[in-house]
Amino acid sequence: MGKFQGPLDGAPPLTAEEISLWIDGELDAERSARGCGGDTTTMATWACYHEIGDQLRGCGGSIRGFGARFSARLDAEPTVLAPRARPTPVAVAWALAASVAAVGVVGWVALTTMSVPPAAVTTAQQAAVVRPADVRRPVVNEYLLAHQEYSPTTAIQGVRPYLRAVATDTPDAPE
Amino acid sequence: MHRSNRVAAAGAGRLAQRSACVALGIAALAWLPTALADDAAEWLQHAAVAARQLNYVGTLLYQHDGRVETSRVMHMVDARGEHEKLFNLDGPAREVIRNNDEVRCYYPDAKIIRIEPRTYRNAFPSLLPQQLDTLAEYYVFRKAETARIAGIETQAFVFEPRDGMRYGHKLWADLSSGLLLKAQLLNEHNVPIEQFVFTDIEIGGKIDRDSVRPTYRPPPPDWETRMSLPGDVVQQDTGWQVKELPPGFSKIVEGYRTLRGKVGPVAHLVFSDGLVAVSVFVEQMPQAPQPIGSSQQGGINVYSRQLDEHLVTVLGETPGATVRQIADSVSHR
Repeated sequence: MGKFQGPLDGAPPLTAEEISLWIDGELDAERSARGCGGDTTTMATWACYHEIGDQLRGCGGSIRGFGARFSARLDAEPTVLAPRARPTPVAVAWALAASVAAVGVVGWVALTTMSVPPAAVTTAQQAAVVRPADVRRPVVNEYLLAHQEYSPTTAIQGVRPYLRAVATDTPDAPE
Repeated sequence: MHRSNRVAAAGAGRLAQRSACVALGIAALAWLPTALADDAAEWLQHAAVAARQLNYVGTLLYQHDGRVETSRVMHMVDARGEHEKLFNLDGPAREVIRNNDEVRCYYPDAKIIRIEPRTYRNAFPSLLPQQLDTLAEYYVFRKAETARIAGIETQAFVFEPRDGMRYGHKLWADLSSGLLLKAQLLNEHNVPIEQFVFTDIEIGGKIDRDSVRPTYRPPPPDWETRMSLPGDVVQQDTGWQVKELPPGFSKIVEGYRTLRGKVGPVAHLVFSDGLVAVSVFVEQMPQAPQPIGSSQQGGINVYSRQLDEHLVTVLGETPGATVRQIADSVSHR
């Protein structure tokens, strides 16, 4: 228990697409549990995707030796077909520029959607001030989330009743 | 056959039919609770199926304790299953994302994501028949008025409690799809204490997959993820029991789960009367002083007490007296 194991019951390791879905929380719980285990390729891909996310947001550390490793990998790539000329350095540069531009756009979108507007933080602080009557403890909120999972009200209303657990929640309050 | 005979035969047939009707009527009266329960179950199942299978997007008001909170809700179904997104429009930003059996709650201001795998919801419709009798035994079901909600014709129906151990429920279902557009919990004075209501909704339209994806995707690395592992609540005997369970409630889940900030596993028992659930949590008494006693938010009542070296916390969509009775009668075998 608790140790990394290989994929369970001979389940195939997660594919790259599945790992991507997993990171987004869109992979079936059962599949992710069975498919992940401690498969080194899976874990490397997982780490790599997170590293990409971090770099895109500009909050990952610099990757030491990345340039050298990238060049080495590029050199090691087999030339696919002899008749086709290797792209000129200019073409490579353009291709790289295009990818960087795309990454730039994605990164920009990610940053815009992810930053918390200062107004929201202010509102949160104000809400904390004007709601002294809200004496619920974070621990109760954890319990409420766990409870909601089993309540028939969730079955007939979807996630709506989860508002009870998140609406006036204060998960950062000291415990 | 002569005409008179035919008439006589027809007359006899009608008589037989009438007798059958009377007999059926008597049978229906004798079996009234079951008949009503069937009707109630049909409405509930219809609502549950609609909530799971339809595409819809709308604005939702959550009203409780003199507050109104506005949210957007979108639900879509594709080849990968069910996807649902809910986020509030006022107060600190919150977001709830569901993909099939997994629920994620995002707290951007606190930089926290809570992940809850779910296992129970899909079992709900099949659970109903077992609990139909108790449903009819502890609630009076009746159809109420038709009403227009968010521009849609709905049928209201009411579950009126037969005792003081549960709240009343009034639900408004879209007449064509069955989807619930409004839900109220009513106290013993028939006063709503909690309400979910759509102010606008579009049912059955096309919904873009991206609109039900998390806003914070992938989450920034400095966010903390609090995750319960899939299958975390292992069905097992915890040794804890409730001696004076209010009538109509039966145990649907018992096991251990890990919760953040808890040293050891927390025992979790869930009891349901078919309409609502009450959760019992038992953990080792934490070092830090714990608030003991009762609290309430909308339709949820919470009661905590110390039991020797343990902390017992009971909560559910029931009156305070119910969670307290359950908490007070928790003991270890």
